[in-house]
Amino acid sequence: MKKNVYGFLVLFLALSSIITAQEKFTLSGTITDSESNETLISVNILVPDSQTGTVTNEYGFYSLTLPAGTYAIQVSYLGYKTISETIVFNDDVTKNYKLTESAENLDEVVIEENVERLNIKKPQMSVNSLSIKTIKNMPVVLGEVDIIKSITLLPGVTNGGEGSSGFNVRGGSADQNLILLDEAIIFNSSHLFGFFSVFNPDAIKDIKLYKGGIPAKYGGRVSSVLDIYQKEGNSNEFHMNGGIGLVSSRLLAEGPIKKGKGSFLFAGRSSYAHLFLPLFDLDNTAYFYDLNTKLSYRFNNKNSIYLSGYFGRDVFEVSDSFENTYGNTVLNFRWNHLFSDKLFSNLSLIYSDYDYDLKLAFVGFDWESGIRNFNLKYDLKHYISNNFKLEYGLNSIYYKFNPGEISPIDESSGINQFKLTDKYAFENAIYVDAEHKINNKLSISYGARFSTFHRLGQDELNIYENGNAVSFNEALQIYEKAEPIGTESFERSDVIASFANIEPRLAIAYQLNDISSIKASYNRMSQYLHLLSNTSSPTPLDVWAPSGKYIEPQLLDQVAVGYFRTFKDNVFSLEVESFYKTIQNRIDYIDGANLIANDAIEQIVLNGQARAYGLEILLRKNEGRFKGWLAYTISKSEQQTPGRTPEEPGINNGEWYRTPWDKTHDISFTGSYELNRKWSVSSNFLFQTGIPATFPNGQYEYNGLTVPSYEARNSSRLSSYNRLDVAFNFNPNPDSEKRFKGNWVFSVYNLYNRRNAASISFRENSSTGANEATRLSIFGIVPSVSYNFKF
Amino acid sequence: MKSKWLVIVILTGFFSCEDVIEVELNKAEPRLVIEASIDWLKNTSGNEQEIKLTLSAPFFDNEVPPANGATVSITNSMNTVFNFIEDANSGIYKNAEFIPVINESYNLNIVYKDEVYTATETLKSVVPIDFIEQSNEGGFSGDQIEIKAFYTDPADEENYYLFEFLSDFTPIPSLEVYEDRFTNGNQIFGFYSDEDLEAGNIVTIRNHGASESFYAFMFLLLQQGSQDSGGPFETQPASVRGNCINETISDNFPFGYFRLSEVAEVIYTVE
Repeated sequence: MKKNVYGFLVLFLALSSIITAQEKFTLSGTITDSESNETLISVNILVPDSQTGTVTNEYGFYSLTLPAGTYAIQVSYLGYKTISETIVFNDDVTKNYKLTESAENLDEVVIEENVERLNIKKPQMSVNSLSIKTIKNMPVVLGEVDIIKSITLLPGVTNGGEGSSGFNVRGGSADQNLILLDEAIIFNSSHLFGFFSVFNPDAIKDIKLYKGGIPAKYGGRVSSVLDIYQKEGNSNEFHMNGGIGLVSSRLLAEGPIKKGKGSFLFAGRSSYAHLFLPLFDLDNTAYFYDLNTKLSYRFNNKNSIYLSGYFGRDVFEVSDSFENTYGNTVLNFRWNHLFSDKLFSNLSLIYSDYDYDLKLAFVGFDWESGIRNFNLKYDLKHYISNNFKLEYGLNSIYYKFNPGEISPIDESSGINQFKLTDKYAFENAIYVDAEHKINNKLSISYGARFSTFHRLGQDELNIYENGNAVSFNEALQIYEKAEPIGTESFERSDVIASFANIEPRLAIAYQLNDISSIKASYNRMSQYLHLLSNTSSPTPLDVWAPSGKYIEPQLLDQVAVGYFRTFKDNVFSLEVESFYKTIQNRIDYIDGANLIANDAIEQIVLNGQARAYGLEILLRKNEGRFKGWLAYTISKSEQQTPGRTPEEPGINNGEWYRTPWDKTHDISFTGSYELNRKWSVSSNFLFQTGIPATFPNGQYEYNGLTVPSYEARNSSRLSSYNRLDVAFNFNPNPDSEKRFKGNWVFSVYNLYNRRNAASISFRENSSTGANEATRLSIFGIVPSVSYNFKF
Repeated sequence: MKSKWLVIVILTGFFSCEDVIEVELNKAEPRLVIEASIDWLKNTSGNEQEIKLTLSAPFFDNEVPPANGATVSITNSMNTVFNFIEDANSGIYKNAEFIPVINESYNLNIVYKDEVYTATETLKSVVPIDFIEQSNEGGFSGDQIEIKAFYTDPADEENYYLFEFLSDFTPIPSLEVYEDRFTNGNQIFGFYSDEDLEAGNIVTIRNHGASESFYAFMFLLLQQGSQDSGGPFETQPASVRGNCINETISDNFPFGYFRLSEVAEVIYTVE
């Protein structure tokens, strides 16, 4: 590891010396909002004369190096007044720009989100950025603004439907998404089994979703990266904002610790629908809450620190017999340091955990499971020249897995204490990524991530004959657990299994002309953790398992090509991308696998592979009174689990089968239109092929029961999913000079009340005894109203 | 998994709805279904036994046809053969001289339409039911009648149980399978609750000793019954293979199971 770090140092020193040999000077600094002093991400710093420029990074920092001379500089961010000035480059200069919102001097309020703009020049492709303003404008069920639901409107992103958690990117499973909140890994992104997501929209600044061409900076999951940044808080003056909705209410307070230098932000959100349940004589409760905090302090131009935290819980109680609590905790310390005006660094120390607790009083049973991790990240971005930028860094994560512990609730319980063996692992990575502008037409980014994973010692591990934990019963043609022939024990410091992978990343952009470009990318990624889930979408009860002696890490190879162009001076943009990816070592479960409280998961998993391919089209209108996009995706996502020997059938006779989230067609439209200064209207429309399902092809009687027998896995589909949502935003006093501002959102979800099937059950009608198919649909038409304020 | 759906339903009680719909289903070729359940009730001779053979049918058919004209026999380890003779054209095959022995191994042999089906299983013992406890504030909702049938698990061995609760208001039994992984050596209970259960109902409670492979089979089979297709908490449906093999054409495997159990029974009147 050390050797590699030295390697990097040597590399960048060599490169720096080449650059400093010429007479060049650097302009660098941080760009913030003049009112709140909040740093701004993706601000453009342009030098029109030399056709060059840069953008601010996730911490608002920029660095621009030019040969000596005098240049006109433009700092622009849509929705803000552009700053133009002439700068003489005869020395290195630090300039912190403060941008002012430009809304009030326009007759028609047009707020546009710069971060979402298509950048046709950069090699980075397959990325979608959304500003929180856009997300807040979309109509949502019950008026609850939801980051995860909003990204499912993007091409290539779907989820299992209402009431299912997580999201699927380009045919990948939900556990293959790396979800980062201020750089910390979030293991469960859902509240209330997927009805809402854990991110409080008021505390979020920006989100970015990488679907392909993923930079070497990221690793550990194979499908996508959802990078979410929280606001820092206003360091100029104290403000509060909040919202009152049907399901939950939000309140956020922010203000200076030291004016202009330090800020705090506290945000809380809680659902309260459960408070009304007693009115309906329901002895049950279901609620969630979350808290976001952030403290930021800027010591000087070179050093800033951030301390951020997240705590969220879901609680369900059904009379006194069932009690379920789960949620994430994140604590995060970061230090931004500038080694020079060209070398930006960020050090993150992160603790995060996910806990799950279930009490079943009527069987006297308490179940706890969870995952805990300590994460150290050191990321550097080196602005070597305008044509060459280098990012490099390292990442170490230590994991502790608690796969489950069962304990009796009280003395009278018939349950014995039972603890599944804790598991430990250590994941390390180093990476380097270069962004290289070869000429005015061609840009390449290339890099690699070297990752290692060590499964550390645990108390007991089964040993099997020939290392086969699953045996095949040839007479019955079924897979069974193999009997262990013994167990082995390890010290905590022992390494049971080790993996190492080199993950190359490559992206190329070739600019055809001023308005269009073609791009291509390849990335390989590895994933060492597996979410053990035998259901179509993850449930909070699912546990994470590390790779080890019997489970191999998942390996992804993805290629993507795309055509990108803008129309009418950037008013419209079009993105067309096609991708193909394969994943090795995708596990699936033998028939009858019981994942709960299983101490030997290896006995029920079979190794397989997955593949997905598709075409995505995104047409977007970026400015004007009407803004929005139309996305279409055609894709296929499949999985195969062949037998290990020619005699074995594998799963589904070794044939490819659809993944539970395979949707052939996916059309989504979202848009908003400013009717006048007080009113705006927004709308979503979705049409998707129904999700795959396994239907019965027969029935039989056994022991007084009617038992359905099933066709091949996922060979049928539910009927197609479609719905239309509309929301009206009302701002009663747009010209008010008062500090207090409020607005109303009236929305209707599923306007034409379509009964979209969430599932179809096949069962015996208990009164007639006849078999029937019943459809469960979750949300019909749902009107709602919410009120948001700030002061 | 059932509990999760319950929570979902409570959660979305104001929004979600269920309705019966028409679905076109594929129709598979019929298979032989073997219900060879040898139950030896404690304190009886266990001589009279029957085996039921039926065929699988399309899912929306109102009934399943019997499998007639088969040759059925069970052989014990001493090569004593018990022949089961069909009672008219009922698909029910009977024998009145069966000799049940705890831990004895038995072989089942069936010839149906020129195909030979076989299975091997051991007769498993069971502990008696100690007592019954009734609560009128039970179930998930807290206002249902629930019944707990207590038994004491033997500490020195791995045990598997099939519990059957059959009430006189419905022909459909409530079945549960239990293992002793978390309850070894303890006094524990079989659990039954139904919203239609009321005072005066007579419930036949039977606990059967079972093998580990029967437990695995039944665990999976019970999941298929309440199967949701495409739901978020769906476990993957599977074709549930029992312990019977088609020796002639292995792909034409039968459904069902050959199980032999000692049975503890209590007939309980709901108070």
